[in-house]
Amino acid sequence: MIKDIFLPDLGEGINTVEVSEVLVKSGDTIKIDDTIIILESEKATMEIPIEFDGMVTDVLVEAGDEIKSGALLIRIESEASDVPKMDEQKKSDKEEITDENLSDSVTESITSVPLASIDSQTPVTVQNKVPFASPSVRLFSRELGADLSLVAGSGPKGRITKEDVQSFIKSVLSNNRSSQPGLVSVPVIDFSKWGEIESVKLSKIKRITGDRLQQAWQSIPHVTQFDEADITELDEFRKTLKSLNQNEKVKVSFLPFLLKAVAQLLKDIPEFNASLDHTGQNLVYKKYFHVGVAVDTQNGLVVPVIRNVDAKNFRELSEELVTISEKARGRKLLPDDMKGGCFTISSLGGISGTGFTPIVNPPEVAILGISRSKISPIFRNGSFQPRMILPYSLSYDHRVIDGAQAARFTKRLNLLLENFAELKGLGLT
Amino acid sequence: MERKTLHAEVVIIGAGPGGYAAAFRAADLGKQVTLIDKNTALGGVCLNHGCIPSKALLHLAKVIDEARGVSKHGIHFGVPRIDLNEVRDFKSKVVSQLSRGISQMAKARKVNVIHGTASFLSDTTILVSTSDGEIELSFDHAVIATGSSPASIPGLPKDHKHVMTSTEALDLVNIPGRLLVIGGGYIGLEMGTVYRALGSSVTIVEFMPNLLPGADQDLVKPLYRKLKKDFENIYLSTKVVSVDSQKNGSLKVSFESGDKAFSEIYDSVLVSVGRKPNSKSLGLENTRISPDNRGFISVNEKQQTCIPTIFAIGDITGDPMLAHKATHEGKVAAEVIAGLPAAFDAKAIPAVIFTDPEIAWAGLTETEAKAKEIPYEKGEFPWAASGRSLAIGRNEGRTKILFDPDTKRVLGIGIVGPNAGDLIGEGVLAIEMGADAEDISLTIHPHPTLTETIANAAEVFAGTITDLYIPPKK
Repeated sequence: MIKDIFLPDLGEGINTVEVSEVLVKSGDTIKIDDTIIILESEKATMEIPIEFDGMVTDVLVEAGDEIKSGALLIRIESEASDVPKMDEQKKSDKEEITDENLSDSVTESITSVPLASIDSQTPVTVQNKVPFASPSVRLFSRELGADLSLVAGSGPKGRITKEDVQSFIKSVLSNNRSSQPGLVSVPVIDFSKWGEIESVKLSKIKRITGDRLQQAWQSIPHVTQFDEADITELDEFRKTLKSLNQNEKVKVSFLPFLLKAVAQLLKDIPEFNASLDHTGQNLVYKKYFHVGVAVDTQNGLVVPVIRNVDAKNFRELSEELVTISEKARGRKLLPDDMKGGCFTISSLGGISGTGFTPIVNPPEVAILGISRSKISPIFRNGSFQPRMILPYSLSYDHRVIDGAQAARFTKRLNLLLENFAELKGLGLT
Repeated sequence: MERKTLHAEVVIIGAGPGGYAAAFRAADLGKQVTLIDKNTALGGVCLNHGCIPSKALLHLAKVIDEARGVSKHGIHFGVPRIDLNEVRDFKSKVVSQLSRGISQMAKARKVNVIHGTASFLSDTTILVSTSDGEIELSFDHAVIATGSSPASIPGLPKDHKHVMTSTEALDLVNIPGRLLVIGGGYIGLEMGTVYRALGSSVTIVEFMPNLLPGADQDLVKPLYRKLKKDFENIYLSTKVVSVDSQKNGSLKVSFESGDKAFSEIYDSVLVSVGRKPNSKSLGLENTRISPDNRGFISVNEKQQTCIPTIFAIGDITGDPMLAHKATHEGKVAAEVIAGLPAAFDAKAIPAVIFTDPEIAWAGLTETEAKAKEIPYEKGEFPWAASGRSLAIGRNEGRTKILFDPDTKRVLGIGIVGPNAGDLIGEGVLAIEMGADAEDISLTIHPHPTLTETIANAAEVFAGTITDLYIPPKK
């Protein structure tokens, strides 16, 4: 029979994607898992594989099209049965996020503002191949163009009711409205009046990144706390480790120390490991300690999340940072690799700067911005001494965290970095 | 002869249960509709040579059988006197009453009915050949609903009056002494049942090792046991090698079963080896539509062919070739044409065999589940424990429901027993609504009825059954 191939749901937060390449044409014979199109979204490029063998009869999208989940991509003539196979759900999870040119070293990469791949606060929905809804509700959802697989059922045992579809549509509509709050129309300016210009279209990732940054900036009352840590001993220790491990693949950077210190502080001051729920009335404390690391790539920012940082030692964290960078280079970074973070670390230390104000990555409530360390004269034990000083900043959501807590956080971070022997579970004995 | 030209917003080719449903729905949605059928009587095979006349005859067969059956319980009728002309009249009246009803409804809806054959000239025009000449009909949307015809096997004598398809068999020209039914599918078994009740000695020959290939064999078993008694012979895994006309008009049939060959003489042969789609002589070669090697036309869930303005519904789109599937698809096509967001998203299409006992199923079968390794659990209730079943003198029925092991929702249902076809509707609704075992078992079913067996099967699964004693699982 002829099958319509639709754009699958690409995950929370992705509304439209741009078709960057169409790899099939009418008459092509395609096999299961062949890539049919490549998309560009705010989360980098994505390959859409086909789930059936068959022959392409129609191609309904072309490069440059902006499409939504559920859009008709191609039609194929296929012998495949309609009965969902048991592993079909797994298969649809296989869409890989691929990031070209992710910088070689995650640990030493330069990051500007973290973004990307955050869990939104919409209620968790169970993705089911056959939605639990009666024929009339299925019709109603077609009328409204609602994707039932995204609708959470409120009826007995999770049945999707008409009201669920209505409130889903309402929430989508109001989200769309609030995504552009208080935008004032921008006057048309003829820049060429003052000299030669060139207009280049923003990349899809830049545009979506921009929207999300604006939303985070406008909806979160930010405060940024600045501080400095004395990492003289830590730096020396790192250099020693580096010389000892010269022949090994694992890179010895500051990042694993920072990750361990942050995980310890998230445990000690649980407000930093919390999120506001969708009502804004409740604080959700997380009992896990997943930390995102913002990474700059040519295509935009990605924030792979290191899970259970508290339970991993220095070597494991170093290796995982390498794995993630290889995964990204090998186009193997999965959407799940970038979800579920509790806190983000963003580092500009590789370039320059004495301090910056990073934007919180919602629904997280705080972000650490690392600047460039330098040797400074520090008055210590009665004299000025050359010390390695790391300037950094901590931006936080003032609805959740107050200034004293933030000051305590940076004070303790300083202590942990200065007395890194106190870091628990480094596994470096 | 001059060729007229006409334009239709929607043209439907074929006035069977799919075609007239599409036509009427489209008309009700404000479309200007032309309905083309090659026969004067509307309703297609289902109404004129299929579902309806066969059910009229099966009803008479059942009355004969039941009258005979109650002699065991103290009610003695004489041997029935069968007047074939009156039987035929009854059947024809049922058919013509319904067919006239369709014509009247077409008129009331201002559907333009043309009696003729249709053939595509292009993606946007059809040539209709009628007894009054040819019409070149351009259209905005077309729906192909030309259905299917009885398939045949090679080596049969041509135009032999005693070699019948289901169409001739329903004409009931005479009651042969010995009748061979080639094909143990639902048509063969239903027609065999009719002829046996009217006095024929019936033999079924089936190439496959089972009757009703594809159906769950635990449901077929009670029917097989009964037919084994009623019919002269049931040859399974047996091939018909040749059918030769004898001088006296009878037919010599040679069989092959494994390495065994034998032959028998029959007065008539009924060929019921399946149906083939009517996609030839539709002029599809003048469009971009190309049927597959079996003659079926591929469609999407909106019933669109590869040309989005040309739709196909019913038998011509593939199995299952059932009237109720065609009707549903016809309405989907009409609504899509009218711009509504319709789609064929039914989870289950019920199938019914109107033999005695009847067999009915919907959704997942155990056969399919095993073939595709779909996990399921089962609740089953034997009708020997149903008061109503015993009260109508029957105990061979079974009702079984297949459940999803995780959600406990109904995946499929299968029933064998009298009126199984009427009972299956509840199961189809359960599947569409995503009902689970408790939804069914906690719904109060009327007592004493056969519908209780559906609740009982769910109770067996849920472990709440009181009408049976099942020792707890260790």
